[in-house]
Amino acid sequence: MEFKDYYSALGVARDAGDDDIRKAYRKLARKYHPDVSKEADADAKMREVNEARDVLSDKEKRAAYDQLADHVARGGSPDGGFRQPPPGWDEGFEFRRGPAQGPADHADFSEFFSSIFGNRGGAGQRGGAAPYRERGEDHHAAIEISLEDALHGAERQLSLRAQEIDAQGRPHLVNRTLDVKIPAGVRPGQYIRLAGQGLPGHGGEAAGDLYLEVRIAPHKLYRIEGHDLYLTLPVTPTEAALGAQVTVPTPAGGHVDVTIPKGARGGMKLRIKERGLPGKTPGHLYLLLEIALPPADTDAARAAYEQLAKAAPFNPRLHLGA
Amino acid sequence: MRTVTTTVLDSAPLTVRELARAVGAEDQWVLRLVEVEILHVDTPTEPPERWHFRSADLQRALATRRLERDFGANLDTAALILDLQSELRRVRALMAAHGVG
Repeated sequence: MEFKDYYSALGVARDAGDDDIRKAYRKLARKYHPDVSKEADADAKMREVNEARDVLSDKEKRAAYDQLADHVARGGSPDGGFRQPPPGWDEGFEFRRGPAQGPADHADFSEFFSSIFGNRGGAGQRGGAAPYRERGEDHHAAIEISLEDALHGAERQLSLRAQEIDAQGRPHLVNRTLDVKIPAGVRPGQYIRLAGQGLPGHGGEAAGDLYLEVRIAPHKLYRIEGHDLYLTLPVTPTEAALGAQVTVPTPAGGHVDVTIPKGARGGMKLRIKERGLPGKTPGHLYLLLEIALPPADTDAARAAYEQLAKAAPFNPRLHLGA
Repeated sequence: MRTVTTTVLDSAPLTVRELARAVGAEDQWVLRLVEVEILHVDTPTEPPERWHFRSADLQRALATRRLERDFGANLDTAALILDLQSELRRVRALMAAHGVG
């Protein structure tokens, strides 16, 4: 396992103050924000930056991490390899989720983070021996499914890293696999709730829930927008000019005959009602027409093009004044 | 391995308490989100115990929580950012639908 340098992840010095860390984090969070970032690995970078901020902005975690970094610097292997923190490295530290930290993000963090904070960094860890009762925190994850699974429903295996309580009552991270039923008609951005599959409760209280955000993998034919699906439909110049009946596939399987109107143009949108994503208000299937030219790769084809140019003189650049 | 029963939020919406728990916040915070119109309820004149929230609400509440945490944004600023974000996504989807970009 690679030892993670959280200071270089945020681009700050070892003695950086809270304000420097906050500023560095905000700058990077803007840079790698999914709505604005052009970087290919923005998601991974954002996770790394979040993890570094989580540790360095928490006094207890930061002090423990610094102590571990010193230990590794003194005796770590030359290639920076890191296996497990030494016994007792964290004595005297207690890690707790801060109130402003929001929903559980730790499941996204690295194996390195889990190895040092995994069984202490989670929700509601309390010091002392006083018993307390608290419902487990809700947890969040995402699930990517195919368009076919969204249309027809499916059962999918989901592997998650989750916190469990051991026989001594101590929380620790485990890998677990759930068999999740995906209901037919789910749409991207919807949440599926799995009751009792969040973080465990304390003092006999119920576990939290797990919320899965549905994402739909890009499809080779269809593009999803809300409830609607879009299909680019190539047509020949003849079909576009004279009109035609063409057969197109539908997302749920099968085919449907569609009328291309006379004089159709590239970019024209045709709607097939209620053939998009199913639901109380079913979406539509939109066909975006694209004119596909027959290749002029034979004498006969070239002659036909020349004949068309003579029969129907046409200047598509007239509006340019050319 | 366990097979888990699943519910899509839009067919079984969340209460104020459940939404607050899902984002690690207090109930009062959810009420503030309704007040600044980050969240919209179908029945604003009903008492909050009868309000219901769906997937889009959970998504906006989570995004607000992150804006508060990551940038120290207050709720009015978060509301504006979320509106601009929705507009950006709508325009991008429109451009994609017309084969632009």
